[in-house]
Amino acid sequence: MIFNSLIFLCFVVVTVIINYLLPERFRSFFLLFCSLAFIGYYNIESLLAVLVFSLFTFYISRNIRGNRLLYIAGILLNAYAVIMFNYFFATRQGFDFSYAAISFNVNSFIIALGLSFYALQNISYLTEVYFGRWQPELSFKNFVLYNSFFPKVVSGPVMLPREFMPQIDRNVITHERLAAGFNRFLLGLFKKMVLADRLAPAVHSIFDFGDANCGLTTLAGAYLFTIQLYFDFSGYTDMALGIAKMLGYDLKENFNLPLRASSVSEFWRRWHISLISWFTAYVYYPLVYRLRSYKKAAAVAGILATFLISGIWHGIGITFFLWACCHIAYLCFELLTKRMRSGLSEKPSYLFYKLAGIFIVFNAVSFSNIFFRSGSLSSALLMIKSLFSDFFPAGWLHDFIAPLAVGGHQVDEFNFYISIFMAAAFLLFERRINRIANSGGFSFYYTTACVLLIFLLGIFSNGERFIYMQF
Amino acid sequence: MREHMDTSERLQQVFRKVFQKDDLLVSASTTAKDIRMWDSLTHLELIAAVEEEFNIKFSFSEVMQFNAVGDMLVALSRKSGEI
Repeated sequence: MIFNSLIFLCFVVVTVIINYLLPERFRSFFLLFCSLAFIGYYNIESLLAVLVFSLFTFYISRNIRGNRLLYIAGILLNAYAVIMFNYFFATRQGFDFSYAAISFNVNSFIIALGLSFYALQNISYLTEVYFGRWQPELSFKNFVLYNSFFPKVVSGPVMLPREFMPQIDRNVITHERLAAGFNRFLLGLFKKMVLADRLAPAVHSIFDFGDANCGLTTLAGAYLFTIQLYFDFSGYTDMALGIAKMLGYDLKENFNLPLRASSVSEFWRRWHISLISWFTAYVYYPLVYRLRSYKKAAAVAGILATFLISGIWHGIGITFFLWACCHIAYLCFELLTKRMRSGLSEKPSYLFYKLAGIFIVFNAVSFSNIFFRSGSLSSALLMIKSLFSDFFPAGWLHDFIAPLAVGGHQVDEFNFYISIFMAAAFLLFERRINRIANSGGFSFYYTTACVLLIFLLGIFSNGERFIYMQF
Repeated sequence: MREHMDTSERLQQVFRKVFQKDDLLVSASTTAKDIRMWDSLTHLELIAAVEEEFNIKFSFSEVMQFNAVGDMLVALSRKSGEI
């Protein structure tokens, strides 16, 4: 049940209506039922895995305070869940994976992989309870709803116990919240179906065919993937936040105009915010706190640990490792040149500095995403090689466009230009569009514009999955 | 009161030293948002310098709750009271 599929839309509509009609005290029971049904829809094994991991985490959390052994056991089990599910994806297809008595087959992998988001929330819950910052939850229903609430179970946002649990029994739905949730959901659907999925064929053509393209085309492919990933994942998040709001809960924001960041550290404060703040709270700060007398070396060690673990979390393999290495290098460079750059940014040419920063960061992130997107090290290296050779070959204008406008006909080129135009226009007016999508009133023009554009320009046929569902 | 003044002045010197800015002014309400260089990459370097200056140790949960300079001043005065 992918977020942009018809069956999921029907599921959401029915859930929102029933939840709205139910008395407040029954809503959390109903939403738990829906969440488990959502997981069970994929397969019964995933549902069993969720229930078993939840039961285990719930029971040890009640005796965990001050019990280091139990805490470590709980963390290891959930960390094992993350690695197991990601390892499962790394093998990609044609695969049966047996874990104890539960056998996962390839049809079941989507939700099983979503469990790496689920496991992060269990780890944060255990940590908060162990250190006495959160009281153990007494209700198993509330605990499972916290880690498995269906809008966020597949790809986040990752919520800390204090951010979600207090909301569970205070489910408030007003007309204003319904309208705001609907607007946000529509924005997400638009980003996914019109912006991200229209760019997908061009990205697919550059990354997956192993052809030696000219440097300029490869560069365009890398840029387009970064933009596609942003629209895909932030579109998913908008849909998740919108659905949750219509169901009475607020989820955490995950993106804040990341492509406008003028340093990589700023980028990581704006991109996948819930994941990076999880890593900052549970990996980076505890480590750097212990090593703080080593000053800068402590921060370097923190960056190293955070991104290596983040790389493993995304997937076990050399490409994710190299993606992590890129960001480690960027952030260490920024840390060590911070003072010099801070002096530069205060010069009168601040605007130039800012724009140059945005351009450099976008290039750096797009470069690292070559590893993130490539299926293998050899194809990533091939792309990098072509980036630095034959940038403007003879007849480059034709050769540049042809591999991107998949199909080779004039209409395909036209289609490609429309995609680029839509994405660029959106990025330019993003702040304004977000403001409308977050408003609490029903807007006839906004709704009509979104629906029309989705029907006219959206991609319906290929049912592209969300990229972040694999993690 | 005088002691409090001294503490904030000393704290200001630490900030100036860590962020290498001689004209940096900090008050109780100054937060990380007000100082461009103060982020998660430099936060614990700053903490280590404050600890060194005042010869104290902050706990991990104290460090995590420092959202503004005022929080540090409160923690410092509590620690000096304990001593």
